[in-house]
Amino acid sequence: MEIIQTENLTKRYKRYKKQEGLMGSMKGLFHREYEEKTAVDAFNMTVNKGEFVGLIGPNGAGKTTLVKMLTGIIAPTEGTIQVMGYYPNKLEKAFKQQYAVVMGQKSQLFFELTTEDTLKLFQQIYNIPEDQYKKNKNFFVDLFQVKDLMNVQVRNLSLGERMKMELIVALLHNPKILFLDEPTIGLDAVASRQIRTFLKDVNESKGTTILLTSHYMEDIKVLCKCSIVMNHGRKLYDGNTDLLFEQYQKSKKMTIYFENNADSGIPESCRILEKTKDKLVLEIPKEITEKVLEFYIGHYSIRDIGIEEEEIGSVVERIYREV
Amino acid sequence: MKKYLEIAKAYMKTQLIWRWDTFIDVVLAMAKVIFAWILWSILFEGKEQIAGMGFYTMISYYIISSYLFQLDKSSEISQQMTNMLRNGTFSKYMVIPVHTQAYFVAMAAGKIVFSACICFFTTILCFYFSGISFVAAINIKILFCGAIMIALGLLFMAELNYFLGILTLKFEEISTFLMIKDNFSAFVTGAVVPLALLPEWMLSGMRYLPFYYVTYLPSMLLIGKQG
Ligand SMILES: Nc1ncnc2c1ncn2[C@@H]1O[C@H](COP(=O)(O)OP(=O)(O)O)[C@@H](O)[C@H]1O
Ligand SMILES: [Mg+2]
Repeated sequence: MEIIQTENLTKRYKRYKKQEGLMGSMKGLFHREYEEKTAVDAFNMTVNKGEFVGLIGPNGAGKTTLVKMLTGIIAPTEGTIQVMGYYPNKLEKAFKQQYAVVMGQKSQLFFELTTEDTLKLFQQIYNIPEDQYKKNKNFFVDLFQVKDLMNVQVRNLSLGERMKMELIVALLHNPKILFLDEPTIGLDAVASRQIRTFLKDVNESKGTTILLTSHYMEDIKVLCKCSIVMNHGRKLYDGNTDLLFEQYQKSKKMTIYFENNADSGIPESCRILEKTKDKLVLEIPKEITEKVLEFYIGHYSIRDIGIEEEEIGSVVERIYREV
Repeated sequence: MKKYLEIAKAYMKTQLIWRWDTFIDVVLAMAKVIFAWILWSILFEGKEQIAGMGFYTMISYYIISSYLFQLDKSSEISQQMTNMLRNGTFSKYMVIPVHTQAYFVAMAAGKIVFSACICFFTTILCFYFSGISFVAAINIKILFCGAIMIALGLLFMAELNYFLGILTLKFEEISTFLMIKDNFSAFVTGAVVPLALLPEWMLSGMRYLPFYYVTYLPSMLLIGKQG
């Protein structure tokens, strides 16, 4: 059953074109020139109930704009949009009662208060009965193992801890859809992994439909069965995530830290992305990842080694080349 | 309704953290009264009354009006709203099931309740040190009317600032509006000088402005002079 559906969805921003210099600014006071920017362009998408969909694209692709339209924060310029049967920008209370949105940089928490305080406030805002409130709170607090952080002033939490709190606040009222705009931005590997595990759990145990945007390939690989790739406001790929990786993910990024100043050899068909005294970053074809790994571990003394997914930019480029 | 009460409570709690702010508020209020004392003792040299007010009545006016002026936390509404509208964080109020305007009014109310308590204490101190007996002037009816008028005045200021904040959507830059509003309201609410000192024609004009009822009229009521 479709819970989100858009057709031909388009958003054009009008940007005030600032003219140069003082004279230009003065002129701008009386006569303004605008330029149009199409942030989302004839976008069609469908999300089914209970799905965990990844929306991935480089910076400026239009991901946030899309999420803003889906949550009703801004109105589309053209096209149709339907979320749980509502037109989001009407901002009906019944609609707002049924979803939640977490944006990487925008906090719902009160920095001066504790998470516990914010939760109590949100209980009132969403009219959550006491028993459901307790049950939900305990469920999420256990899942994240953040019991001892609940009574800490939010300003004293780390970014990763705060994001966990943000998610708990967002999920307290059992939303049917959870929109996440770059929830892992700026987080370290450990915190990102915890957030991912948590989201997967929520999706599976509560059946919450989740739409997650990111520009990290890692995020969608682990979480989303279906993915949408977008760039310049347009959809480039929509389908199975595994298939996406198989077709367009040709290489991986390997970062090696050497124990001592090692001038290492580079295996064939690898490309150097960065090289310093004791650090080497390589782009390697994904089929030979294991061999390269063995090569380095066998021949050099290594302090640390990490393998990451290729950056979204390269994947997008490859998709462009094929179509 | 309960949710707005809870919002007010949350913001009242946030105020508790900023003791430094409150301290400055208190010091400023005291300083204002002391300045008024010095200034008016010069002006009252050789005079019994100015604009129908004796020296002590004048000082009482300053103590009370500066208390009321402290209460008005509404300029934070427009300030916060422009900032949020500009850096795009205002959306966080759009996605939760609250009435945004009511949210901001509740926010101001929460902050007011807190400073009302703190500044009440300061006001009592001021009266004590200046040796003016305030109690003589009031009766229950006046106190009651004054309280209602103050509540309505503060509500009006909160709404006004909310709408000024909304203007950001249209004008992007509203700091000029806000500056004009701040200076204008400091003057016309009688926070700088009692409006009774103004010529009669100006005063009667001001009766038509809601600002007149925010600080000036309740202050006059409470010192026993019907403005
Ligand atoms: N309020 C706005 N006014 C004008 N242009 C905007 C506005 N918000 C975003 N844009 C432009 O729209 C494009 C898409 O932005 P955004 O949706 O934030 O991308 P993403 O979230 O994928 O990084 C960008 O080119 C950006 O400059
Ligand atoms: Mg974005």
